[in-house]
Amino acid sequence: MRFLILLAFVITPLTGWAQDRSATIQDVVEAHILPGFTRLASASAALSQAAQADCAAASEGLRGAFNDAFDAWIGVSHLRFGPTETGNRAFALAFWPDPRSATPKALSAMIEAEDPVVESADAFQTVSIAARGFYALEFLLYDPQISALGSGAYRCALIRAVAADVDNTAQAILTDWQDHYAALLISPENSDVYRSDEEVLQELFKALTTGLQFTADTRLGRPLGTFDQPRPTRAEARRAGRSLRHVQLSLIALRDLAQRLASISPEASATLDAAFAQSLDLTERLDDPVFAGVADPQGRLRVEALQQSIGRIREIAAADLGPALGVAAGFNALDGD
Amino acid sequence: MTTRRGFMAGMLATGLAPKPSWADAGNPAYLSAAKRPDGSYHLYGLDELGAPLFSVPLPDRGHAAAAHPSRPEAVAFARRPGTFAIVLDCISGGIRSRMEAPEGRHFYGHGVFSADGSLLFTPENDYEAGQGRIGVWQAGTDYIRIDEFSSGGVGPHDIARLPGTDTMVVANGGIETHPDAGRAKLNLPVMRPNLTYLDGMGQVTGQIELNADLHLNSIRHLAVRDDGLVAFAMQWQGDGAVHPPLLGLHRDGDDVLLLQAPDDLHRRMEGYAGSVAISSDGGSVAITSPRGGAIQMFDTDTAVFAAELPQGDVCGINAGPEGFVATTGNGTVIHMEQGRVLGAESHRVAWDNHLIRL
Repeated sequence: MRFLILLAFVITPLTGWAQDRSATIQDVVEAHILPGFTRLASASAALSQAAQADCAAASEGLRGAFNDAFDAWIGVSHLRFGPTETGNRAFALAFWPDPRSATPKALSAMIEAEDPVVESADAFQTVSIAARGFYALEFLLYDPQISALGSGAYRCALIRAVAADVDNTAQAILTDWQDHYAALLISPENSDVYRSDEEVLQELFKALTTGLQFTADTRLGRPLGTFDQPRPTRAEARRAGRSLRHVQLSLIALRDLAQRLASISPEASATLDAAFAQSLDLTERLDDPVFAGVADPQGRLRVEALQQSIGRIREIAAADLGPALGVAAGFNALDGD
Repeated sequence: MTTRRGFMAGMLATGLAPKPSWADAGNPAYLSAAKRPDGSYHLYGLDELGAPLFSVPLPDRGHAAAAHPSRPEAVAFARRPGTFAIVLDCISGGIRSRMEAPEGRHFYGHGVFSADGSLLFTPENDYEAGQGRIGVWQAGTDYIRIDEFSSGGVGPHDIARLPGTDTMVVANGGIETHPDAGRAKLNLPVMRPNLTYLDGMGQVTGQIELNADLHLNSIRHLAVRDDGLVAFAMQWQGDGAVHPPLLGLHRDGDDVLLLQAPDDLHRRMEGYAGSVAISSDGGSVAITSPRGGAIQMFDTDTAVFAAELPQGDVCGINAGPEGFVATTGNGTVIHMEQGRVLGAESHRVAWDNHLIRL
């Protein structure tokens, strides 16, 4: 009898732990991933319809739909595994950063040649990946040169083709998530893609840390440049005035993911959430929508403070949350080359 | 007036003074950069058993080093996007000279000497152009920049020389970065890593790319066997649900052979090989994964998986007296043969990514 009681003590927490993991995954899939990609799919459909209705670059309806769909993308842009990676779909939605200016070059070439590839959705999937997705559309709607280049009729057809292509890609991602990928994360033992809850949690944790890294190093690091050579013109989606907004939206989405993952490690939960709150507070007080302030010392200091605060979230995630999810946190594991 | 230096030079010219050699260096067998508990960075010389013989402070985090073929001298490089390198006297552990990457370039943390030791070649980033370069330095008392040429790709990381020749092989990792944005990857959608063979003048004599579906598999580190067989280790930048090979074998002019452990074990590497080495007898090749905490060994002739050894935060690896010697971020130096541990030592430092054999 005593033996049985002892056994019960030993087994209960273990079973509870397994249930925790499974429940955590189910929560992330159903409350974080699927709603995010559903929003992206519906906002992208609305974007394509808006482009059909009015393809003028300055159209309020089109710009509104573009910004809504772009918001939806930023909210899932950290979920880079499975359906987003099939056939380079995520790159086709989001070709950025673009250090060689491939997007304006590709768009200019298409407009100047009046490339008939815009006439077919299938054919459009074969154009340079730099001419597809939200960042291409941003140039077509907001860039003074590109939005006035060549013939209006061709630009209209191109805007509609890019919007329809974004819609197709977003629908394909959602379909894959709904059809099989959600189930595969929730019940990894039924497939060969992930073999256990641990592997799934590690994938989700990687999405969190990679997302934080992208926001700190690329979304903020690119415009920051160096003190001697700040690069405000490298700010993400600055033409549409969205640079700071992307940092905020990504932090909000990453905070949501972090909180759901941290249900496994309540100690990490509070410190992580406080760190996110601090970063978001800094974004609220920044008042610099396209990081133009990086060029003057005071404005720069505030963007740097934001970048450092995201660095702290990463440190907490790596030190407190990662190990609870079975992710190594060593000197080389965290920062190899 | 005869200066001491002039006198010495005369002695050397007439062959009266014996030139210092690696045998005079107390026989350090390996070099490795490390981080100390106080946060400072040092370069260590280690003996065959992994015991530290000397250490030299580094201004920032180090990465790898290049050993001179005859002089007891090595060049230790900053980790990318660092711009410093130090020329180290491996007898005294003193610094002989310092190198600074030219304006508009940074080092990747690796380098290699020409067969006669007169030149040093360094993979560098021409970051405004987003193109890989190989810097050429005259390796005299001081190291003087004399030339540079294309690396044959973007993001050249490791470089090695095929033994007995002046043919070099470069791992062009394919990833564009700019020091303004630290280590942020700027070109993933269009990255195209390759393995490029160059002669000492910079002429490309061979180049291979993997299949297009592996374009996100960054070719990063190299090991070469005496007969010119090249082993290359990769780091996957794509979907975590995909588990491509992380190790390849190649001989210039032949097809590439990609190797991986049986699926369960292969997945443990988490898409990341940090270092690669070939054993002294040439029969075995090993990769490490700090993320997966594992060392995996393969037979070089059959390309068949041989053994795995779990080892937390392992990254540095090189040929040992038998088998391999590996280092970890936890301070361990481990000797192994075919997955069997022959001995281990622990030090109060975090060994950095690479273990360089002298």
